[in-house]
Amino acid sequence: EDPQADSSASPLPHLEAKIQQTHSLARLLTKYAEQLLQEYVQHQGDPFGLPGFSPPRLPVADLSDPAPGHAGLPVPERLRLDAAALAALPPLLDVVRRLQGELNPRALRLLRRLEDAARQVRALGAAVEAVLAALGAESRGPRPEPAAAAVAASTASAGVFPAKVLGFRVCGLYLEWVSRTEADLGQLAPGGPA
Amino acid sequence: MMDISLCVKRPSWLVDRKRMRMASNSQWLLLTAVLLYLTNQVNSQKKSTPHDLKCVTNNLKVWDCSWRALFGAGRAASYEVCIEKRSRTCYLLEKNTTIPPLLPGHYEITVHPLYEFGSSKSKFILNEKNISLIPETPEILNLSADFSTSTLHLKWNDKGSVFPHYSNVIWEIKVLHKKNMEIVKLVTYSTTLNGRDTIHHWNWTSDMPLECAIHYVGIRCYIDDPQFSGHKEWSDWSLLKNISLPPDSQTKVFPQDKVILAGSDITVCCVTQEKVLSAQIGSTHCPLIHLDGENVAIRIRNISASASSGTNVVFSVEDNIFGTVVFAGYPPDIPQKLNCETYDLKEIICTWNPGRPTSLEGPRSTSYTLFESFSGKYVRFKGDEVSANENYQLFLQILSSQEIHNFTLNAQNLLGQTESTLLVNITEKVHPRIPTSLKAKDINSTAVILSWHLPGNFTKVKLLCQIEINKTNSEHELRNVTMRGVESSNYLTTVDKLNPYTIYTFRIRCSTDPFWKWSKWSNEKQCLTTEAIPSKGPDIWREWSSDGRNLIIYWKPLPINEAYGKILSYNVSYSSDEETKSLSEIPDTQHRAELQLDKNDYIISVVAKNSAGSSPPSKIASMEIPNDDLKIEQALGMGNRILLTWNYDPNMTCDYVIKWCNSSQSGPCLMDWKKVPPNSTETVIESDQFRPGVRYNFSVYGCRNQGYQLLRSVIGYVEELAPAVAPNFTVEDTSADSILVKWEEIPVEELRGFLRGYLFYFEKGERDTSKIMGLEPGRFDTKVKNITDISQKTLRIADLQGKTSYHLVLRAYTGGGMGPERSMFVVTKENSEGLIIAILIPVAVAVIIGVVTSILCYRKREWIKETFYPDIPNPENCKALQFQKSVCEGNSALKTLEMNPCTPNNVEVLETRSVALKIEDTEIISPVAERPEDRSDAEPENHVVVSYCPPVIEEELANPGAEGGGASQVIYIDVQSMYQPQAKPEGELDSDPVGGAGYKPQMHLPVTSTVDDLDADDDLDKTAGYRPQANVNTWNLVSPDSPRSTDSNSEIVSFGSPCSINSRQFLIPPKDEDSPKSSGGGWSFTNFFQNKPND
Repeated sequence: EDPQADSSASPLPHLEAKIQQTHSLARLLTKYAEQLLQEYVQHQGDPFGLPGFSPPRLPVADLSDPAPGHAGLPVPERLRLDAAALAALPPLLDVVRRLQGELNPRALRLLRRLEDAARQVRALGAAVEAVLAALGAESRGPRPEPAAAAVAASTASAGVFPAKVLGFRVCGLYLEWVSRTEADLGQLAPGGPA
Repeated sequence: MMDISLCVKRPSWLVDRKRMRMASNSQWLLLTAVLLYLTNQVNSQKKSTPHDLKCVTNNLKVWDCSWRALFGAGRAASYEVCIEKRSRTCYLLEKNTTIPPLLPGHYEITVHPLYEFGSSKSKFILNEKNISLIPETPEILNLSADFSTSTLHLKWNDKGSVFPHYSNVIWEIKVLHKKNMEIVKLVTYSTTLNGRDTIHHWNWTSDMPLECAIHYVGIRCYIDDPQFSGHKEWSDWSLLKNISLPPDSQTKVFPQDKVILAGSDITVCCVTQEKVLSAQIGSTHCPLIHLDGENVAIRIRNISASASSGTNVVFSVEDNIFGTVVFAGYPPDIPQKLNCETYDLKEIICTWNPGRPTSLEGPRSTSYTLFESFSGKYVRFKGDEVSANENYQLFLQILSSQEIHNFTLNAQNLLGQTESTLLVNITEKVHPRIPTSLKAKDINSTAVILSWHLPGNFTKVKLLCQIEINKTNSEHELRNVTMRGVESSNYLTTVDKLNPYTIYTFRIRCSTDPFWKWSKWSNEKQCLTTEAIPSKGPDIWREWSSDGRNLIIYWKPLPINEAYGKILSYNVSYSSDEETKSLSEIPDTQHRAELQLDKNDYIISVVAKNSAGSSPPSKIASMEIPNDDLKIEQALGMGNRILLTWNYDPNMTCDYVIKWCNSSQSGPCLMDWKKVPPNSTETVIESDQFRPGVRYNFSVYGCRNQGYQLLRSVIGYVEELAPAVAPNFTVEDTSADSILVKWEEIPVEELRGFLRGYLFYFEKGERDTSKIMGLEPGRFDTKVKNITDISQKTLRIADLQGKTSYHLVLRAYTGGGMGPERSMFVVTKENSEGLIIAILIPVAVAVIIGVVTSILCYRKREWIKETFYPDIPNPENCKALQFQKSVCEGNSALKTLEMNPCTPNNVEVLETRSVALKIEDTEIISPVAERPEDRSDAEPENHVVVSYCPPVIEEELANPGAEGGGASQVIYIDVQSMYQPQAKPEGELDSDPVGGAGYKPQMHLPVTSTVDDLDADDDLDKTAGYRPQANVNTWNLVSPDSPRSTDSNSEIVSFGSPCSINSRQFLIPPKDEDSPKSSGGGWSFTNFFQNKPND
């Protein structure tokens, strides 16, 4: 084999490997996010754990629901949106962790899952950014400072119930965005539709 | 009501004018007119007179009086009011005016309108009882709300300064809510007027959050002055004041994050502009209570204690939900098991158990405050700072000058507070920490110094420490030491009374005096004490070698607690009266020495040496003190031990030595020995080397002046077992009726116990039969002999049968059980003498009987002949003739006897003599019959052949062979001929139709004897069938052909009938003839006793 040919062919497998790794990480975090959401509702009491319970999808600072037209966007654009959402999630998860620390101080597994989720979603966000960079699609520049502190303050003053709803919402968004990221990366992964 | 009387006085000038008008008649009309005028005037005056005097007061300082007057009342607003009781006082007053309060009693009040023409005075009687006390309408100074607690705060002034004296005041407060002003609370509140204006407060907590609906508050009062005797009435209600909702149009649920007592009720409302569809607490839906607008509320009764995250209350509108969280829990329990102690007298640690959980966590959890009243110091503790399994504890620094502490632990949460107290002298509650840095340093061979560090300020107290001393293979020892606490916290103590050259393990724990708690044990510290001179000489024994020339000295290594160090070597020396010799140093690994000694008595000495020095010598005499009175005894042990006893012997001054060995061991018998004190009379020998079933020899020696005397010799087992082998035995002698058995002793190694005896079984039996295997003592045919005399080595078994196989089994048994068996088969010899006797006796008896019978028969021969064998048989007894008769008579009942036409045969009667008697064919003449009874010259030898009818043969013997013969012969043999030398049955057997089956006349007494006949006889015998045993006593034979034998049961028997074709009878010879020799030539004793004649 010609070593030149190898060196010229190496970037592509490297990108594929990166995409594959990131996709695997997203898949893993999707599973963790499901477990976190399940664990979360278990500790909030009824009706949070009941099947029909569905609080309104109120907007959360710096983080929105995945848009309905998300799937129609080009993959790099989708990944940009994913990266932005993943970057907004860790501080929100930290806020939820703090609120739950007061509310359920003995729910150690829930608190640990929230801590892990914040750390893991940071890693996934960085990996997506790396994939974007490898694809040549830069992210949208510096992100604004997260408004998590303001969210925490306003939520704490609003009461425990809004704090529970906020946590429920954040955990739900966490699941949606890592799931969306997994799907978007699946478009790029070898064997995917793309 | 006032009781007022009115008096009207006519004026005097009107009377004078009337009298003047009557004087002038012309002036009648005028007079009438004047009269009318006057009447009108009178009426006018009546109406304008003050009436309905009414007085009220609101402060008891002045009375407000008013009265009514129609005319002029408004215009002429001035009245002269005079009050008269004892004195008269007049006031110029307005219509409604105030007067000072009057003292109790009746007063006459005169009201006279001033400047009013035609008016009259009015008089009233006024009393205090007619006065109404109506307080002034109170005024709410302030109404505020604490929405977090749903509490209204009301403030007003009682205006007490206007009242002249103390009075009780009852305030009535009403709370209304919603726009339709539903009264939700009506309450009275009592105060006292004290002459000064006082601001009063009233708080009320609403069940419903104040945010849920607008609330109004009004107040009125009632003054209950005991000194006032008039009417007392409620004041008017004050103006209502309300609490408006917060100016926030957002939908909210109230109360937010409320903490309530579990089991209580709570109202939760939702303030919204949207229509609320449902409300639920947890998963339970609740009915809605509608408030103003779209606001709704729900009432939750008896709420359960919440989980950590509280109980969710959720209101659902069309596209949204609103909620709040209720935390239902309990007030803190009284702290239990409050305990305060110190580890180091520097800091106090107080611990407690929080008791019942409050169900409130996080910011709502219980906070604890530990307060020390003497010092005023306190520390706080938040319940959420500990996890579930941690202790609740607080630390407080100790002041050096303070020993007594009075602690109060206060527990508080949003639902209440409790407290627990404890008074403690902290110097009595010292729980020292674990001692550290334990060190040990040896001082000498029996003492070490221990040092350790115990953190804490114990200078004011005494320390009590406990040292645990552990020695290998020994129980641990505890020693207590008391010492004063030192500032440096480093302590040391000496531990003495230790053993030299011993490894000790120390550890220590401490407490204080007075004792409260031990500290934990410190880490262990190991220390080896230094060596010392061995405390004792080695335990020695001596044995002479088997050849008796060398003396072997044995000694045991000194135990570590006696060696006091590492034994380096042993010194052995021996001395007699003449000399003392020493062997070279013997290394410590060797524990025996061999000495070549002469026959002199020597004292052998052994010493052990370690690095500290030599042990005291152990001495023993070489020669043994003889003992003539010695018996060997037996002993049994148990497990791996055996108890030996002996009698106390005051002469034994040293000690006793018990030596033992395996009895089967060759050479010097020494396995081990044991020394016991001289005052002992027993000891238990225990050894792991003891094995069950092994015989050991135990020798008990007593010591006297270093010489030993054998006192007892004992053989024993620690446990007996059954013998391992069976005794070897042999048959020494066998006779026809006895067997002599001899056996050998079982070797001791195989015996495995004390022999208790032998069991000998025997029974008839042959090798290779199943009986051999199953020989058991319980069987009926097995005989058992238990031989308990163990010295017996032989056994004669008698009363056996000759020439019989016997199965012999021998087994030995010990206290441990029955050993295996050894068996043998022996056949006894034949008993020839007995056999001869057994043959001779019956033969002799038979001969005697035969002789007697012969004599009797001879003597009664006439009678016998006449009876059984008359010369002329009675034809009626002749079956053949009967047959013919029957046939001739045509007896149909005897069909079987019907014969073919009878062809007479020839009957040949043979006579040994020359005289032959020819008989006609048609006649059957018995030779007996022809012989006259009294004939002396009888011709018994004549043989007569008589022809007779053969159908009988055909009838009874359907043998074709017989038929082939065509004729039968009846042979009459006289008695004499019967006694001819015997021959086997005659040649007619060849034509014997019986052949090999059926009855055969057994007594063949052949007339002639030929070889052929013998053969035939042999053949006949081989055909089996019944045979008489040639017993002459059984000669009462009944011929089956005899009619008598078949026709009746008559006991009259005969030797047959002449009609029988095969009968062999001997006829009794005539009386006068010489009897033939009765010795039946063919008979012998051997045959007589043989079961089978041919054998």
